[in-house]
Amino acid sequence: MSTSLRNQRLLALFATGWLLLNFPLLTLWDRGVSVAGIPLLPAAVFIGWAALIGVAAWIVEARGDDD
Amino acid sequence: MLSAPQVLAASFAYLLLLFGVATFADGRGRSGRSVIGNAWVYTLSMGVYCTAWTYFGSVGRAASSGLWFLPIYLGPTLAMLLAWPVLRKMIRIARQYRITSIADFIASRYGKSRALAALVTLIALVGILPYVALQLKAIASGYALLTSAGAGAAHASGPWWRDSTLYFALALAGFTIAFGTRHLDTSERHEGMVAAIALESVVKLLAFIAVGVFVCWGLFDSPGEIFARASARADLKPLLGLGGESRFAGGQWFALTLLAMLSVLFLPRQFQVMVVENVDERHVKRASWAFPLYLLLINLFVLPIALGGLLHFGNSGSGGADPETFVLSLPLALGQPALALAAFIGGLSAATGMIIVEAIAVSTMVSNDLVMPLLLRLRGRNDARDLSRTPLAVRRVVIVVLLLLGYLYFRIAGEAYALVSIGLISFAAVAQFAPALLGGMFWKGGTRTGAMVGLSAGFALWAYTLMLPSIAKSGWLSTQFMTEGLFGITLLRPEQLFGLAGLDSLTHALLWSLLANTGLYVAASLARAPSAREAGQALLFVDVLQRPANSGSGAPVFWRGHASRAALQQVAGRFLGAPAAQRMFADYAERSGVGRIEHIVADAQLVQYVETQLAGAIGSASARAVVASVVDEEPLAPDDVLRLLDEASQVRALNRQLESVDKLKDDFMSSVTHELRTPLTSIRAFAELMRDDPDMDSAQRQQFVALIVAEAERLSRLVSQVLDMAKIESGHGDWRNEAIDLRELVDHAVQTTRETFRERGARVDVEQPDSVPLLHADRDRLLQVLLNLLSNAAKFVPKVDGRVKVALRADARGATIEVSDNGPGVPAGQQQLVFEKFRQGGDGGNRPQGTGLGLPISRQIVEHFGGRMWLRSEPGKGACFGFELPWHHEEKTA
Repeated sequence: MSTSLRNQRLLALFATGWLLLNFPLLTLWDRGVSVAGIPLLPAAVFIGWAALIGVAAWIVEARGDDD
Repeated sequence: MLSAPQVLAASFAYLLLLFGVATFADGRGRSGRSVIGNAWVYTLSMGVYCTAWTYFGSVGRAASSGLWFLPIYLGPTLAMLLAWPVLRKMIRIARQYRITSIADFIASRYGKSRALAALVTLIALVGILPYVALQLKAIASGYALLTSAGAGAAHASGPWWRDSTLYFALALAGFTIAFGTRHLDTSERHEGMVAAIALESVVKLLAFIAVGVFVCWGLFDSPGEIFARASARADLKPLLGLGGESRFAGGQWFALTLLAMLSVLFLPRQFQVMVVENVDERHVKRASWAFPLYLLLINLFVLPIALGGLLHFGNSGSGGADPETFVLSLPLALGQPALALAAFIGGLSAATGMIIVEAIAVSTMVSNDLVMPLLLRLRGRNDARDLSRTPLAVRRVVIVVLLLLGYLYFRIAGEAYALVSIGLISFAAVAQFAPALLGGMFWKGGTRTGAMVGLSAGFALWAYTLMLPSIAKSGWLSTQFMTEGLFGITLLRPEQLFGLAGLDSLTHALLWSLLANTGLYVAASLARAPSAREAGQALLFVDVLQRPANSGSGAPVFWRGHASRAALQQVAGRFLGAPAAQRMFADYAERSGVGRIEHIVADAQLVQYVETQLAGAIGSASARAVVASVVDEEPLAPDDVLRLLDEASQVRALNRQLESVDKLKDDFMSSVTHELRTPLTSIRAFAELMRDDPDMDSAQRQQFVALIVAEAERLSRLVSQVLDMAKIESGHGDWRNEAIDLRELVDHAVQTTRETFRERGARVDVEQPDSVPLLHADRDRLLQVLLNLLSNAAKFVPKVDGRVKVALRADARGATIEVSDNGPGVPAGQQQLVFEKFRQGGDGGNRPQGTGLGLPISRQIVEHFGGRMWLRSEPGKGACFGFELPWHHEEKTA
């Protein structure tokens, strides 16, 4: 995998992260309902956060040139 | 409740453990078996981001405003997504130019400016000092809470010499000195310190999670129960949401995220562990997701602990517990002193980690960029006294002073608002580095003036809109200027500057300071073209990833003048110690291939090398000044920079060419050897057979001798062709220039090979015009080419009904001769290869006898006379080799 592809993927993920964890998309989850006993908003933030980390791990740990 | 000796003993035992780990890691590092050369350790060392402010403060923040503690950790997560492109570049730059602090980084980029380095150091110092005080306060209040029943009696009372916090501070200073200033390493790596910090990260994470698990499943039945009970209470329910779209302060959330994103890169301690202490830049990959994971884990239980504490103690007031200390007070209140002690050790590790790394980073900056320049100025430039012990001594003093100042700040301002809110205020101070630093890494147009003006404006606005109000709110300053504005001018109210209202004070301050900072940085940079020095440094920084990673070789050197090796060695010895300077020069002599120090040429490369090595010890701005004082420099113009860059890239290109020529030569040699060995092997085999069997009948013997002769002939043909080839390639061939009648040449060649074709049973047709102009060339060489093509054709024609056609044509430009056969042809994939040395046509089984040099030599000959040679072939339809020669050509000047 070329560096430029990796960098483009990371940049795209960065943009996604900004949108996902910020105003106004964040307010979508602010509904006062619970999922399995956990309020939706904190659950969504932590799950979205974990998803970002997972995708980042997949992008950077993929085989490819280091340079 | 625990007794004071218990807590003190546990704390000092913990510090001893750190000491042991650091000693062990330092020892392993020296013996070349580093324990920190590992992506996980690197990731954990970044955990120094989570200080006591995180450890205790997050819960406090969550207890008062719900999810608002999160942007401080979401920002770093987003920043780390760009770690591979951005952080890796910072690491590469720092490594190549021996940059050891963030002040050095910025100053170096803008032409190694001392003023800029001093300004950055000052900003960092002002921003960081209260933060150190905050860590001490966390330790002190945690200690007070554990040892006294009365919660909230955080502030140390009694005389200062009985205050254990002071002794903590001194112990930490001792630790930092022991592992942060052991020796003056020009790369400023501290293995023991990094190992200890990584351990601290593990300890604080485990301790916090332990408390979280206890609260969720010990104190309550499950996190679900906590949330259910909290959402049933009107006063706690808002903490679970954002207050709906209309009331959610999206701007503030955004500002906090941005602030944290910049801080994780630019806080001096983060720069220290992420850039300076980085062992291998590939570790950045692992860290870019594992560090966010660390942040996620340490935040997982913040909300449950906060809500659990509020539910358990009732609302603040009744139970009296401060949410900031829930981590300690919850286990304590439920009779779990061991857990409380563990939680305290976790908080201690968060605080000490921050203090140690920050002290190392800040002491490097203060020593390199404030004290050393002053010292050099006071001593005068021509003072040759040995200063090699000075930088370390200065750093040690700075560390002690920094911690004592932190302690003083804590004693004076312990309970004040200024301290409580200092976390974010610190962040906002270091965020001011962003435009100059990021701009400098990705934009070549930034100038020293731009960085200077931008940073100053950003810092001034930060002080006016954030720092001063926080001081005023602490009651040390009249708040009049806040309500009425400076000099009574309403527009100058610090928290509604120019009438900008509706923002919280942090967002407001961040907006104005970063706006002014970035705007002025860009505007002042664009006001004039960069100077030669700025342009040179810009190229070195922005294009750093385009050069090979190893060492500084290949990097252009923007310097011109005269220097003496002895003077440079002396100045290096003055700051690094004479033995170290001797080693450094010996190393340089070896790497540059001159062998001995006396033979080193004092050129720009050497000046650059010495300056870079010195930069690691005393900072690049000081190194620049010191080196400039012993060499005779010529000023550079911006055009010179481009020219020097050009030269450097030409040198690199030449080096690459040489390498590939070298490789070609090696290939050629191994092919020749291989080709020589084949006939030699058979000659030897036949000769041995005859020797070992004296009774061999004469017919057999005769046959063997014939084979030996044939092989020997092939050998001598090969040798003469190799010599021929070498002669032509080196341009030393003897070329005659005579008038040739090509018709006669073709006839002659066909005549010569007639017998060969007759043996193969093939027919040769010649097709040529009635008359052809005379061509000026070397007749024997052209005959050689033609014979080579004909004998090739003879080898490949089929055994039955073989046909070969020789066609001569002439036009205005030149003559063309083609030799075509009706053999098997050459597969498309091999058509280019047949002209390469030792690549014969035909597959392994029916490889014809030949040297593999005929066609390459022929092509060289044709090209010598300005022509070209080609092959057209479709497999199964025969091959057609041809060449054309122009009537006139430029003689090669070889």
